[in-house]
Amino acid sequence: MELITNHLLSLILFMPTAAALVMLFLPNDRLRLLRMVALVASLIPLALSLLLWARFNPIPNAQAAFQFVEKADWYGAINASYHLGVDGISLPMVLLTTLLTPLAILASFNIQEKVKAYMILFLLLETGMLGVFLALDLLLFFVFWEIGLVPMYFLIAQWGSKNRNYAALKFNLYTMGGSLGLLLAIQLMGVAVGSFDLIELYRQWPQLTELSVPIGLPVSTVKIIAFWAFVVAFAVKVPVWPFHTWLPDAHTEAPTAGSMILAGVLLKLGAYGFLRLVLPLFPAESQQFAGALAFLAVAAIIFGALGAWAQNDFKRLIAYSSINHMGFVVLGIAAAAAVWNTASPVSQLDKTIALNGAVLQMFNHGLSAAGMFFLVGVIYDRAHTRDLNHFGGLFAILPVYGTVLIFTAMASLGLPGLNGFVSEFLVVRGSWPVLTLATALAMIGLFFTGAYILKALKMVLHGPLNNRWQGHLRDMSARELMVMAPLMILMLGLGIWPALLLDVINRAVAFLF
Amino acid sequence: MIPLSWYLIFSAALFCLGLFGALSRKNAIAILMGVELMLNAVNVNLIAFWHFHAQARSEPYVGGLAFATMVFVVAAAEAAVGLALIISAYRRRQTIVVDELTLLKG
Amino acid sequence: MAIETLIWLVPLPPLLAFFIIVLLTHRRNRLSHSIAIAAAGLSWLLSMWIFVAAVQREDLSQSPFAQAIRWLPTGEGGLNIGIHIDPLSAVTLFFVAWTVLMIFVYSVGYHNFGQPRGDHDRPGLPPHGAMLKDAHGHAHKVASIEPMYARFFALISLFAFAMLLLVVSDNLLTLYIGWEIMGLCSYLLIGFWYGKESARGAMIKAFLTTRVGDVFMLLGLVALYSLTGTLSYQSILGSPQVLTGLAEAASPLTGLSWAGLIGILLLIGTIGKSAQFPLHVWLPDAMEGPTPVSAMIHAATMVSAGVYLVIRFFPLLSAGWDGGAFTPPMLVMGFVGAFTALFAATIAVAQNDIKRVLAYSTISQLGYMIAALGVGAYAAAAFHLATHAFFKALLFLGSGSVIHGMEHGILHTGDKIDPQNMLSMGGLRRRMPVTFWTFLIGGLALSGFPLVTAGFWSKDEVLAGAFASGQMAVFVTLALAALLTAFYTMRQISLTFLGQPRSKAAEHAHESKPVMLVPLVVLAVFAVAAGWVGIPEYFPVVGGLLPNWFEEFVGHMVAGRGVEKNHSLVPLATSLLVALGGLLLGWLTYRRASRAVDPLEKPLGGLYTLLKNTYYIDALYAAVLLRPARWLAEAVTDRWLDRGLIDGVLHALGRFGVWLGAVARNWIDLPVVNRAGDAAAGGTRAIGAFLRARQSGHIQHYATIALGLLAAAGLLVYLLWVIG
Repeated sequence: MELITNHLLSLILFMPTAAALVMLFLPNDRLRLLRMVALVASLIPLALSLLLWARFNPIPNAQAAFQFVEKADWYGAINASYHLGVDGISLPMVLLTTLLTPLAILASFNIQEKVKAYMILFLLLETGMLGVFLALDLLLFFVFWEIGLVPMYFLIAQWGSKNRNYAALKFNLYTMGGSLGLLLAIQLMGVAVGSFDLIELYRQWPQLTELSVPIGLPVSTVKIIAFWAFVVAFAVKVPVWPFHTWLPDAHTEAPTAGSMILAGVLLKLGAYGFLRLVLPLFPAESQQFAGALAFLAVAAIIFGALGAWAQNDFKRLIAYSSINHMGFVVLGIAAAAAVWNTASPVSQLDKTIALNGAVLQMFNHGLSAAGMFFLVGVIYDRAHTRDLNHFGGLFAILPVYGTVLIFTAMASLGLPGLNGFVSEFLVVRGSWPVLTLATALAMIGLFFTGAYILKALKMVLHGPLNNRWQGHLRDMSARELMVMAPLMILMLGLGIWPALLLDVINRAVAFLF
Repeated sequence: MIPLSWYLIFSAALFCLGLFGALSRKNAIAILMGVELMLNAVNVNLIAFWHFHAQARSEPYVGGLAFATMVFVVAAAEAAVGLALIISAYRRRQTIVVDELTLLKG
Repeated sequence: MAIETLIWLVPLPPLLAFFIIVLLTHRRNRLSHSIAIAAAGLSWLLSMWIFVAAVQREDLSQSPFAQAIRWLPTGEGGLNIGIHIDPLSAVTLFFVAWTVLMIFVYSVGYHNFGQPRGDHDRPGLPPHGAMLKDAHGHAHKVASIEPMYARFFALISLFAFAMLLLVVSDNLLTLYIGWEIMGLCSYLLIGFWYGKESARGAMIKAFLTTRVGDVFMLLGLVALYSLTGTLSYQSILGSPQVLTGLAEAASPLTGLSWAGLIGILLLIGTIGKSAQFPLHVWLPDAMEGPTPVSAMIHAATMVSAGVYLVIRFFPLLSAGWDGGAFTPPMLVMGFVGAFTALFAATIAVAQNDIKRVLAYSTISQLGYMIAALGVGAYAAAAFHLATHAFFKALLFLGSGSVIHGMEHGILHTGDKIDPQNMLSMGGLRRRMPVTFWTFLIGGLALSGFPLVTAGFWSKDEVLAGAFASGQMAVFVTLALAALLTAFYTMRQISLTFLGQPRSKAAEHAHESKPVMLVPLVVLAVFAVAAGWVGIPEYFPVVGGLLPNWFEEFVGHMVAGRGVEKNHSLVPLATSLLVALGGLLLGWLTYRRASRAVDPLEKPLGGLYTLLKNTYYIDALYAAVLLRPARWLAEAVTDRWLDRGLIDGVLHALGRFGVWLGAVARNWIDLPVVNRAGDAAAGGTRAIGAFLRARQSGHIQHYATIALGLLAAAGLLVYLLWVIG
C-alpha cells in the first residue's frame, strides 16, 4: 500500500504501457482474451485514479501546490527531471482520461482486424495523454505531448474509413507543425532559466528581464514570440478557429473509439496547455493578447456552430460541435487572461468563475462528445452510412437508441439540468463583465448549437421512417449501453450537483490564478 | 679454371629452357618437367656461387650445399605432389592437357 | 414537517415518476399512468398544503417561506439556490398543481386507455383505430390506444417537474433550469408523433424560436449575476438599494440603465416563451402535439412561465419608475403586449382549426398580461395569469374532448375529414352535452362575460389598469382585442356546438368518457369561481360582497408603487360593451354557417386571406432569416471559409511542400547525389568486368604475364636506379 501511494502517479501513468508490453506476448488470434486484457488493463488506472481522487486533499496549500509529487533525475545535464504531480486542474483531466479509455476500449470490442495492435496502440495512447496531464517538467510534457500523436496516427490510418490516409496525415502534420514552435520555445526557456522544471519556471520566467543567451532581441519580444509559439501549438490542438480544419476530417475518418478519445481527451490537451503553461508562464502577454484570444474563441463558437449546422455527415456534424464547445473553454481562458493581475475582488471573482467554467467545460465536453461520437458509431455500425439524409424516423424502430441519443444530445446542447449547462453558464458569467461584446456575440453560437443538435436529431430520429431500415437495424446491445451508462450518469450527476467536481476545481483555480 | 660466368651462362640457358617448357607445353607432365629444369638451373647457379665463394674464403663452408640439397628435397616433393595431382586430374577429367583445365576462368 | 422541507419536495415526485417510467415500467401502461398520476397527486397535495399555509401566514410577502443551499462554489463564496414561496408563487403553485393534475387524469382517457391496440399503429404516429368484432360478429372500427402511451406520461411528468421547479425556486438560475427543461418537454411533446413530417418541423421551430429568447435571457441572467453577485429574488428584488443601484448605473448601451438592459434581456426571454410578437410563430405550430393535452401544456401552462418571469421581475423591470414616466422595459412590454393581443386576436378570427383558434387566443391573452405589466397593473397581470390558466386549460381540454368525439364519428362513418376543422362540426351540443356546457363556460370566461366568469374580473382589472395609467393607446388596443376575443370565441362555440351537424362524422360524434369529463367539470368550476377572489371593492352592487383578496394577497408584494386607482367606470363600461358586443356579433354571424365557407370570407376578401395565412409571417421569416442563415452556414462557413479558404491555404501549403520536394529530387538528389553513387558502383563493376576477362584459367597465361611484369619491373628498376 505504501508503495502504491508513494508512486501512485507513476503507476497510473505506466500501467497501460506495462499492459501493452504484456499484450505483445499474447497470441494474435485469441480476440476475446486480447479484448478482456486490454479492458482490465485500462480499468486499473481508473481504479487508481479514483483512489487518487479519494486521497487528494482538495484544499491546496502554499508549500505544496501539487500533490503526489514524484521527482527523479532524468537528463541531469540540462536539468530536466522526471517530475509528476497533480492539482485540482489536472485531477479532473486524469479522471476523464482514465474513465474514457476503458469505455473506448469497450466500444472497440467490435473491431475485428489486427485487434492486438489496436489495443496496444490504445493503451500507449493512454500513457501519452496521462503524461501530459501529470508532467511538471516542460521537456517531459513535450515528450508525452508528441507520444500521444503516434498511436492516434496509426489508429486513424489503419482502422479508419475511406479517406483515412488523408485525414491521418492532416492530423499529424497539423499538430506537428504546431509543436515545432512549442519545442523551440521550450528549449529557449529551459536554457534561459537553466531548468525545465515547471515550478522553477513559474517562479523565474515571468520575472525574467535578461536572457542568458544572446539572441539580439529584447526580452519582451522574445517572450511574445514564445507566447505565440505556445498559443499556436495549443490552439491547433483545441482546436481554435482558424486552426480547426484537421478536426472534422480526423474525426470523420477515425474509428469510433478513436473519435471518442480524440474529442474526449486529446482536445483537452490543448486547453490544458493554456491553463497549465500559457497563463502562468506568460501572464503579461496573455493579458496583452486576451482580446485576440477572445476573438478566436468567439469565431470558433460561431463558425463551429454554423459549420456543424451545414453538415450532412452525422459524424462531421458532431466534430464541428467540438469546435463550438471548446470555443467556450478558450473564451473563459481569454476572460481570465484579460483580468490577470487585477486587484479588484470583483474581477478576481470573474476570473475564478471563468476558469472554473473553462475547466468544467473541458470535463463536460469530454463526456458529451465521447458519448455523441460513440452513438454515431453505433448507428454507423448498423447502417454503414453516416449521411443524415439516409436516415429518418429511426426513433420508431430504435427506441432505446433514440432515448440515449436525445439525452446525450441535450447534454451537448447545454440543457439545464445536465452537465454542459453549468459550465457554459459559468464561462458566460465569468466572461460577460470582462469581454461583454465577445460574450454577447458568443450567444449567436449558442443559438446555433441548438440548431445543429436539433438538426441531427430531426434527421436521424424523427420524421417518416425510411423504409429501407425497417427490420435491418437492431437496438443498442448491452455492451453499448454499458459504454453509455457511466457517461450518462455523470452527465446527469454533474448537472444536478456540479459541486461534486467543481469544488476541487474552484479551490485550485482560486489558489493558482 | 672455368670462370664463373660460364656456369652462369649455362645456368641461364638451362633456366630459359625450363621456363619456355613450363610456359609453352600443353602437357602437364611436360610443364612439371620444365619446372624441374628451372629448379636445376637454380641449383647449378647456387653450386657455382658456393664453389667460387668458398674458395675465396679458404675456410670450410657448406651453406651452398645445404641450399642445393634443400632444392632437391623440394623438387622431389614437388614432383611427387605434382604427379599425384596430375594423376588425380586425369582420373577426373580424362586429360592432362592444361588448356582444357580452366576451372578458374573468370 | 417544516413547511420549507415540503416545498423542497414538491417538484420531486414527478421527476421520480419520469425516471421510473423511462427506466422500468415503460412497457406497462396501467402501472405507468398510475405512477404518473400518483406523483402528480402527491405534488398536488403538497402544493395545496403549502398554499393553505401560505395564505394563513400574516406577512407572507415580507417574510416568505425560503431556504437555500450552496450549489456552485465560486472562489471564496458561491451561488445559492433554494426554495421560495411568496404570494405570487403560492398562487402560481395553486393553479399549476390543479391544472397539471387535471391534465394527467384527462390524458388517461385522451390516449384511449383500455382500448385495444391498433392493427397498423406504430410509434411516432397517432393511433389509427382498431377493428373489433362484437358478439354478433359485426366488425366495428374503434379507437385504439396510443402506441407510446407510457412515454407520454413520462414526458408530462418531466414537464410537471420542471414547471413546479420553476415555481418554487427562489432564484433566476433554477427558474431558468425549469424553463429550459420545459422547453425540452415541449419539444418532445410537440414532436410526440414524430413520424409526421409536420410535427418534426414544428418541434424544431418551437425549440429554436424560444431559444432565441433564451439566449438573450441567459445574457440578462449573467449580467444580473455579475452586477449583484446573486440571483436570488430576495436579495435583488427585495432590496431597494440593489434596485436603485441597477436603475442608476449606466449600461454599455447609451440611454439605458443596467436595470433597463437586464429587464429588456429578460423580457426577450419572456417574448420567446410566452409567444409574443415577433417570436410567436412557434405556438400555433405547437398544436401538432397530441391534440389537447400537450397543446394545453404549451398554451395554458408552460407559456405562463414567461409571464410569471416578468411578473416576478416586475420590481426590476420597473426600477426607477415612480408612477410617472415608464421605464424602457415597461414601454416595450406595453407596446409588445398590446400589439400582440390585437394582432393574434385578428388571426384567430380566420382560423378553422379548433386548436389553432385557441393557440392564437392564448397568444393574445398573454399579450394582455404583458401589456398590463407595461402599464404597471401588476396585480391585474397576476390575476389574469391565474384565471387564464384555468379557463384556457378548460378550453383546450374541451377542444380535445370535441376532437375525440369527432374522431369517434370519423371511425364510425369512415368519413375522410379533418377532426379538428370546425367547419365540419356543428350541433355537437346535443351529442356532447357535458363538453358543451364546460366549453361554454370556458368560452364565456375567455370573452369576459360579465359578473359570473373569472375572465371578466381579471380582464376588467387589466383594462382598468390600462385606463388608469393614462396609456390610452394601450387601453384602446386592448379593448379592441377584447372585442375580437369575444367575437372569435362565439364563432368557435357556434361553429362547433350550435346549429346543425355539417358532416356525418359530427352526427355520430360521441361524448367522451368520465375520466375526461371530470377534469373539465373541475376546471369549469375554477373558471367561474377563480374570479371571485379579485372583485374590486368599488364595483357596483357586487363589490365588497367578497373581500378583494387577490389584490390584498399578491398586490402587497410591490409595496408603495403602482397606479392610483381612480375608480372610473369607463373601463367597466368598455369591458361590458366589448364582451357582450363581441359575443353577440359572433353569434349573429356564425349561427347559420355552412360547411363550405366561412361567412366572413367573402366580405373581408383579401384581408381574410391575409389573416388566414397569419400575415405571411412564417414565409417572411423563412425568407429573411432562415434562408440567409442557411446560406451563412452552408455556403460561407462550410464551403468558402473552411473548405475553400482554410483548407485551400493548407492544401496550397501541402502542394508547395510537394513541389519543393520535387525540386530537391529533380535538381539535387537525382543528378548529383544519385549519379555520384551510381558512378562509384558502375565504375567498380566495369573494372571488375574488364579484369574478369583477363582471368582465363590458363595457368600458363598467368605465368607469362607474371614473367612479363617481372621483366618490366626489372627494366624499371634497372632504368631508375641502376642507370639513373
